[in-house]
Amino acid sequence: MLTVIETRQIFAGETRLERVVFYLASFVAILIFFVGLAFRVRKYFAGRPLDLSRFRRKHLDRDLLGITRPVPVSRSIHEIASNGTVSKRNRGVGLAHLALFWGFLGLLAATTILSLDYDVVGNLTRIFGHHELSFFTGHFYLAYNAIFDLAGLAALVGLVGLIVRRARSTSIALDYKRAQIPEDGYSRARMAAGDLLFAYGLLAILVTGILIQALRIDASRFPPYERWTWMGYAIASAMHGIGISSTSAAAIHLWIWWIHIAMALAFVAYIPWSKAIHIMTAPANLLVRDSSATRRLPANNLDHPGYRSLDDFTSKELLSLDACTKCGRCHSVCPARTGGAPLSPRDLILDLRQWADRSAGLSMVLDWEQRPTASGPLVAGGRLAGDVILPATLWSCTTCMACVEICPVGIEHVPTIVSLRRSLVDEGTMDPTLQSALENLATQGNSFGKSARMRARWAKGLDFDLVDARKQHVEYLWFLGDFASFDERLGEISRILATVLRDAGVSFGILFEDERNAGNDVRRVGEEGLFEMLVEQNLAAFAGADFDKIFTTDPHSFNTLRNEYPVYGLDKPVLHYSEVLLEIMETNEGALANLGGRVTYHDPCYLGRYNRIFEQPRRLVELAGCELVEMPRNRTNSFCCGAGGGRIWMDDSVLTERPSENRMREAAELGVEQFVVACPKDYVMFSDAVKTTGNEGRIKVVDIVELVAEATRLVGAGSAGGEQG
Amino acid sequence: MNIIVAMRQLADLVEELEVDSSGTDIDREFVKFVSNEWDEAALEEALCLKEAYGGTVTVVGIEEVDFHQTLHAALAKGADRAVELTGDFEGWIPTRQRAAALAWFIRECDFDLVLTGVQAADDLNGQLAGAIGAMLGVAHASVVTNISVEGSEAHITQELGGGVTSVSRARLPLVLGVQSARQAPRYVPISRIRQVMAEATIEKVPVTGESFGNTPQVLRLYAPEASGTATMLEGKPKEVASAIYDVLVAKGVAGSRKGN
Ligand code: SF4
Ligand code: SF4
Repeated sequence: MLTVIETRQIFAGETRLERVVFYLASFVAILIFFVGLAFRVRKYFAGRPLDLSRFRRKHLDRDLLGITRPVPVSRSIHEIASNGTVSKRNRGVGLAHLALFWGFLGLLAATTILSLDYDVVGNLTRIFGHHELSFFTGHFYLAYNAIFDLAGLAALVGLVGLIVRRARSTSIALDYKRAQIPEDGYSRARMAAGDLLFAYGLLAILVTGILIQALRIDASRFPPYERWTWMGYAIASAMHGIGISSTSAAAIHLWIWWIHIAMALAFVAYIPWSKAIHIMTAPANLLVRDSSATRRLPANNLDHPGYRSLDDFTSKELLSLDACTKCGRCHSVCPARTGGAPLSPRDLILDLRQWADRSAGLSMVLDWEQRPTASGPLVAGGRLAGDVILPATLWSCTTCMACVEICPVGIEHVPTIVSLRRSLVDEGTMDPTLQSALENLATQGNSFGKSARMRARWAKGLDFDLVDARKQHVEYLWFLGDFASFDERLGEISRILATVLRDAGVSFGILFEDERNAGNDVRRVGEEGLFEMLVEQNLAAFAGADFDKIFTTDPHSFNTLRNEYPVYGLDKPVLHYSEVLLEIMETNEGALANLGGRVTYHDPCYLGRYNRIFEQPRRLVELAGCELVEMPRNRTNSFCCGAGGGRIWMDDSVLTERPSENRMREAAELGVEQFVVACPKDYVMFSDAVKTTGNEGRIKVVDIVELVAEATRLVGAGSAGGEQG
Repeated sequence: MNIIVAMRQLADLVEELEVDSSGTDIDREFVKFVSNEWDEAALEEALCLKEAYGGTVTVVGIEEVDFHQTLHAALAKGADRAVELTGDFEGWIPTRQRAAALAWFIRECDFDLVLTGVQAADDLNGQLAGAIGAMLGVAHASVVTNISVEGSEAHITQELGGGVTSVSRARLPLVLGVQSARQAPRYVPISRIRQVMAEATIEKVPVTGESFGNTPQVLRLYAPEASGTATMLEGKPKEVASAIYDVLVAKGVAGSRKGN
């Protein structure tokens, strides 16, 4: 810290006793720090070992850089250094945090250099040499002061910015209200107190640090070279100006020095027992985060299904629990929380952290939740998935990945949620509607409970025969998914897509009754065995067909086929129909007429956030001549329709507002005529939401292929451009 | 307490059933067979009883398409023993024949309760439980929704007509037709079923020396012919209302507009 800075004397005027006290206190503080740290690290190692192989492993060809490949260490370091994840969608806070981050590091460096000079070099030369040496002189000393004054200022400005912002914030992100309210109440007052102590404690340390510098300059009667210590010098001059004489400055200096030292040492000791631990855990977590984890869920590697105890977690997960800063960003964006469901990803992480600490015999000084009776994270014994984290909480997640996307410290909530759900599935704790969907999937291979032989019934309405990919070679195998196959409303869209592709001369075929649900959502529900069974069935069907590539209608099937099936042996490229459509339309200039009209486009979670396909559907909208008006929440910040992660098979009664309705209200503000989707589940969810939000007749939900078909039909009818203007 | 659960396979009713060329049975070739849902309720009640009072649960049924899946699922849920009765069983098995085969096996077991589904799609009149009871010479009750046991007596909850529920007392052993269990049949994860498939064994017991007596013969199987017609009226509410009015007039239910 900006402590005892004198050209030659580190301890200026302190007695021998005071020096002993100082060294003893430092020793104790550092000891407490390292003991706390060791306890925490020991807790991480109680988990399953970190899989570092992904940093070495040869990657699958279709692993997409930045999506399913591990984040390169260099990029993580860059992101940590630039606070990139903190600035995401929050530039002000990002900048303030960046100033504090570098300022703090600077001051840490300053203290380290000082200690190196005095405690190491000084003491060694004094004991072993003839006279004590110091490099803390001359130009080095001047540059040191000039540079580290800057660090002090940056830290101060950043911290004050953050404190003011937090004090003025009315955002739900920071009010710490739980999404799931325990029956007999709870209190997070200590958590809030922990934040205040952290912020104002740091502030006090910074201010006293700067003050002692100024007092020292004042006391030493303003030596001219101290102008290099520009901030200290300026403050000293100001103090002198208001009448603090050099003599009184010298007297105050000693007091403030001790206060500063006491607070700084207390802070060091406090770090591993509080929110401040994120200084260490957050960068560590960003380094080991695995961007494939959510997209390609880990198989169940335990000898029992799902997480039950601390050692079922990976070390990485336990580390990430300690990295959470309670910033609440995930809490704000979560569609479950927004809809009034008893789930907040932040609360989930905090509950797990408190439970993990308790399980490891650890404790936080302040940053804990309290409850009048032991429940949730405070429960004694009890099931992890069921008592510590309630089933309703776990079942509320749509696996939309918004939390993972926004978390500044790189926490991956979704894989943990799924691992916990696996325990619930194992004991059969689930909605009856979900249970019957799973039973249907096991017996019929689809969630509709319809006979597998009905899968291609939608094609009966076509005026041509679809190619059977099991009998004839095709370029594309079209994998429809359950909704596009069985839902009455979507049959028509499947027929439109088939017709557009046929007209464009695309070679494609389907698997008829051999297609099974791809299992994306089955896996995310936590039914790993059923997922594996569906994978085996689909791979057997693929083996019996002749094709070069796969495209899917459903973004959920797309995700699992593209990212998860390769692990089980699929070696064909997988595309989404929007990619295929774009390729056709871009190579056929003039294929599309100008439809005109204002539309908005909704990014499906599994297409956008999961697989980074943002532009292809937008290009199609543009090619069809529609004016695209973006919703405020778009691309990586798209808001889930509420159907993912198996939610579509569950009861909605926990919700006060369906996410799809929330989204439709957002779209209604824009004054658009059409709401364009690229996902069958979206079509269903939003068609309902149009009705329930009273927007019928004002907004129409259309699939992207309907736009394309309409635009090609106009060309075909020779009325290209007829609708312009 | 030892409980025997009799289960049976049925054509999955989500399939479109067709009559085969003989005209006396459904076409079994492409139909999927699943376990009878009421038998699943009987199994659930048996498992709940086992959890409450201890003992064993034995699941038994006749060799039918995919019956192994049902047995594996039952073992995965917690049944102790799975028995498949083999023999000369082809096509549709009349309930009486089924009851005789089951009774033949059960007679040799040490049992307190025999549970089976109150009915099945091919036994809508729910004969199975009664027939087994008669053949074993053991008391029988049907449409049971809950069972509790005290010593050598069972308390049986039954649904009666008119929204009335009765609880009666009977001495064990008993044969009961189960309408529903105290809780919905539990979910068993596929991974556990697969584990059971790899580890557990199904006992195959050939049914020998059993004559089934007088069993009925199916003469004709067919989809019921449409007996009435329904017309859907479409259009604006006003048009529909006037169309309904016209129909009523035509059928003589209401007077004609002009007539009044
Ligand atoms: S994945 Fe989506 S629904 Fe689930 S916790 Fe995260 S933000 Fe909420
Ligand atoms: S989990 Fe991440 S986004 Fe959520 S509160 Fe913690 S640090 Fe913030």
